[in-house]
Amino acid sequence: MIQIQDCVAELPQRLAPLREEFLANLVMLGQIPSPTGEEQGRVRYILDRFLEAGLPEAGEDEAGNAVGTVTGETRQRTILMVAHLDTIVPSNIDHNVQVQTDRILGPGISDNSLGAAVLSMMPACLSRLGIRLNSDLRLLGTVNSLHRGNHAGLKFHLDHAPESVDVGICVEGVQLGRLNYFSIGTIRGDIACDVRPDSSRSYGSESAVAVLNRVINRFLNLEIPQRPFTRINIGKLRAGVAYDIVPDHAELGFEVISHSDDMITRLQRQIEEIVAEVSARHSVDAALDCFFRREAGGIPFSHPLVKAVIEVMQTLGIEPDQGHSPSELSEFIARGIPAVTLGLTSGEKNLKKPDHVMIEPLMTGIAQLIGTLLAIDAGVCDDDAPA
Amino acid sequence: MNRDQWLDERTFHHSQFWDLKQLVEVKQQKGLTISLCLPSLNEEATIGKEIIILKSELLDKYPLLDEIAVIDSGSTDQTREIAAKFGADVYRAEEHLTECGNHRGKGENLWKALHLLKGDIIVYVDSDINNIHPRFVYGLVAPLIHDENVHYVKAFYDRPLAFSQGLRPTGGGRVTEILVRPLFSLFYPDLTAIIQPLSGEYAGRRSILEQIPFPVGYGVETAMLIDIYEKMGLDAFAQTDLDTRVHRNQETIDLGRMAFGILRTFFNRLSRQERMHFEEELPRIMRQHVASDGQFDLKEHLIEEFERPPILEVQAYRERFHK
Repeated sequence: MIQIQDCVAELPQRLAPLREEFLANLVMLGQIPSPTGEEQGRVRYILDRFLEAGLPEAGEDEAGNAVGTVTGETRQRTILMVAHLDTIVPSNIDHNVQVQTDRILGPGISDNSLGAAVLSMMPACLSRLGIRLNSDLRLLGTVNSLHRGNHAGLKFHLDHAPESVDVGICVEGVQLGRLNYFSIGTIRGDIACDVRPDSSRSYGSESAVAVLNRVINRFLNLEIPQRPFTRINIGKLRAGVAYDIVPDHAELGFEVISHSDDMITRLQRQIEEIVAEVSARHSVDAALDCFFRREAGGIPFSHPLVKAVIEVMQTLGIEPDQGHSPSELSEFIARGIPAVTLGLTSGEKNLKKPDHVMIEPLMTGIAQLIGTLLAIDAGVCDDDAPA
Repeated sequence: MNRDQWLDERTFHHSQFWDLKQLVEVKQQKGLTISLCLPSLNEEATIGKEIIILKSELLDKYPLLDEIAVIDSGSTDQTREIAAKFGADVYRAEEHLTECGNHRGKGENLWKALHLLKGDIIVYVDSDINNIHPRFVYGLVAPLIHDENVHYVKAFYDRPLAFSQGLRPTGGGRVTEILVRPLFSLFYPDLTAIIQPLSGEYAGRRSILEQIPFPVGYGVETAMLIDIYEKMGLDAFAQTDLDTRVHRNQETIDLGRMAFGILRTFFNRLSRQERMHFEEELPRIMRQHVASDGQFDLKEHLIEEFERPPILEVQAYRERFHK
């Protein structure tokens, strides 16, 4: 790592002349709406950037992901760098991006326009810095990552790519210092509740909202242990069309997270029972759809990849913030591929107003990404590397 | 070249010039220099974005531009600070050519830009464009780089798309369609071939821009067209479709004042050409109604539409560019 450390320390300065180019990419890409399932504009943009940088292999895979490979000198391993291209922002929202002296603001700019913009610039950036990796660097802008997309783009790629992946890096816009190398177990589900027609009711009738309220009360009575850490989040509730109409349809969205997959399995079974019972008792058709499941797990703190990233961060003066990741990291982990999620700069993710990302720390964040690449390329994650 | 021929041969789409590498090679072969002028007044919401994108793509990566300058009319927001932070040369219009006095307006900034910037070609792009893209520059300068007979290129943004009843009418904004196009049809029919005569983006050769007067206010776009047409005819022009342009929409009442300024510019030229004669000097006051508390008041706006002479007549300019 010693030679790499020297190189990493110089990276922010060497990257400085590229700052405007990174920011320009962020602005242009950030103004392309990209809700889940409608990422084609950003896919096209990224592929144009890859082609412009002269990548011999750049195109869409069958799932619609943007894929480009910077071919390594010896091709002794494959590093997959991933940024999800979808955002939570609907396309009918104004995607105007604003540049201020210290920050860039725009809907979805932190999650994950910045990650996608940096991914798109990676070939040109390495070329401009004169960095030739021995490893193949595969760059992947993924589609269908969020919500019900359930990481479909990355899953497809990992399961069908012709060459296996040795190490993964997930790139997220914020926060600089973020270092995730394990995932918390998660299920996400929707419960749709429809009141049956009068003719099929054995007794009385209730509004769909009232029935879902019973479901929520039952959730709140579930025994949730403090260890292993476990939590049920009720995140979405939707029902009703007018003040004077009793709703006959209601929807509830929830998430169960836990450090234990067994606990998640147990809670999922209990939720299924609650829904079935409420459905029978209250003359409604209640349907449970657990559309997302992520296993708990990750690589240990002692893994050379984690150690290498921390060393890179320390060289650059970045304070590591370790924790679990809700990102696509889990797909690597589920396949036994060592991987980390890294953030690029400081900023804020908002639901009710445009996000922002800070300009000043960004080049340090990109230096961290390149430093991590250099460390992996030097073999820190190889089986025979000293732990 | 008649109007139909011109429309056919001199109307481009920006996508024809997408190959920036090749465009820069031709520019360099011809030894041309190109300056971008962004006139500004309180444009902090958009100026940073414009500079970042245009500098990164057209100066750093593909050196199509030789300089990017913001000519500011005295912004009271962060416009100048943001522009300087992202690498533009920033000038306060009032601090330059002080011997010529100071007038406030976009035309003043465009005129002073001829003195402050060094390019053989000057491209002017408004600072309030939300969907800024390099095409706003390369689409305008490319016809000038490729064809020495083209001296001035105008942007337009609307495309004649097919819809259910054939082709939909296309054209400019409200002031263009209800004022400028009728006036052109009456007095300068050739200029009706220009789809958006009032668009805020255009590029010209220094050699012609230095020879024409610049109204400092609303009439600058109209005046440029008429004056270049008078000197060189329709053959000197080209126009480029830049697709969509997203910017602040103006209130109709503001457009009324714009129309007043344009009319004064028009009448000045018709008088100069002895095609129209006025017994008295035209008034400079535009009156508009303002309603408040059930009362209608007449509000007076002074719209001078002062014109700067051709900058070639300014000694400091001649010393700099024509020693």
